[in-house]
Amino acid sequence: MFDFLKRSRELLIVGALLVWPLISYLWSGHRGREPNFIDRSVLFVSTPVQSLFTWMFDGIGGIGGGYIALRGAHEEAQVCRVSLAEAQAEVNALKEAQAENLRLRAMLSYADESVDQEIVARVIGLNPSAQFNSIRINRGESDGVRVGMPVVTPEGVVGHVVRSVGTSADVMLITDPNSKIGGVVQRTRVRATALGAGPARPLTVDIVRREDDVKDGDVIVTAGSDGIFPRGLRVGIVRSPEKPMVGMFLKGSLEPTVDLSRVEEVLILPVTMGIPAAALDLKETRP
Amino acid sequence: MKFLAFSGLALLLLSLESVLVKTFGFEVTRIDVGLALVVYAALRATTVEGALSAFSVGYLLDVFTGRPTGLYPGLAVLVFLLVRGGGVLVDGRSRSSYALFIAAATVGHALLATFLSWVTSSEGHVTSLSGVPLQVVLTVLAGMAMWPLLKKIEPGERPEPGGIRLS
Repeated sequence: MFDFLKRSRELLIVGALLVWPLISYLWSGHRGREPNFIDRSVLFVSTPVQSLFTWMFDGIGGIGGGYIALRGAHEEAQVCRVSLAEAQAEVNALKEAQAENLRLRAMLSYADESVDQEIVARVIGLNPSAQFNSIRINRGESDGVRVGMPVVTPEGVVGHVVRSVGTSADVMLITDPNSKIGGVVQRTRVRATALGAGPARPLTVDIVRREDDVKDGDVIVTAGSDGIFPRGLRVGIVRSPEKPMVGMFLKGSLEPTVDLSRVEEVLILPVTMGIPAAALDLKETRP
Repeated sequence: MKFLAFSGLALLLLSLESVLVKTFGFEVTRIDVGLALVVYAALRATTVEGALSAFSVGYLLDVFTGRPTGLYPGLAVLVFLLVRGGGVLVDGRSRSSYALFIAAATVGHALLATFLSWVTSSEGHVTSLSGVPLQVVLTVLAGMAMWPLLKKIEPGERPEPGGIRLS
């Protein structure tokens, strides 16, 4: 027996490494597991690295913009080239700051209108696997972010938190094939479900009866019926609704109101399962 | 303990990739840097060390998805075994054959991942495969860029080269 194990050592190790995760996947499906010690350690190490890379690329983008501005200045006034370049670079940096300021102000004014205080977070990375559509943000458990909390921008719904550890959290986007949002057509209050269909694809409008009044351009907002999103948040705009010859339900796509490929800052609404975080006594964990 | 070096490199590269795809606004395409590491391990490392490296790279990718399910560690080991099997037929020691293996592995990995996602998806929705051609190009380029570094980590060449030489 011992000889057999010794002889088959390689086969057993490789077999276990292959079979164990696949069985675990087929068993648990898309649900995923709770973060264990190794997951937390990986995230503890990778989050600062991602933040550093984000900061570096933002800086490079600023330098690139400054270079373009410098070339313009050279054509306009060669004599003042150096001083103008410095001025242009400074203007460019200020423009970046101004743009960020405007975005944050928009978020804060949004927050002022809300009942509870949202958590503002920056997107530091996109999930490197194409099968799951999620982003990573720089706020986590230590900031009061909990699994299930809705994530939005002033334009509308982005997704919801699926994992929160330490100083980072992962947000499943509304375009993920596993995303399902209960909504209503804002104009007619007809109930609809918005299903994710993968990245760069519009969402699918589901369970709308063919006789219901839904037109191209109608806005769908959250209904507050899915246990995640509070009511009234913009999800998307209905595009090309079709009434098929047969079948009970209307077919249509939904263009998200948020450009998910460009989102840089987000707001996390401190509600889980529709209950405010304050009521769950989670607020004291925030810094 | 070379698999620790592979794991450290994978962690760094996945962090970089996640920021790059965000910065460039990629939606359906990714740069499968982890797969380039798995292919290299399959062509150069010993069986146990290579399988452990593949598993750890897959594990890290799984953690980066936000919902670790076990899909990617299993797929990484499967790709490792397939490339290793292919390495018996085709000599994978040269840079060009390494690129070819990466391209094949990227396509195979995307198809398998999509199929298994479809199998377990309650709604039957899966991610589009439209980004795969660009993903292959980007992953091959990333693999080529990593080649000198990988040769430093694992300079060893497998004793039984494949039967078909590509260059």
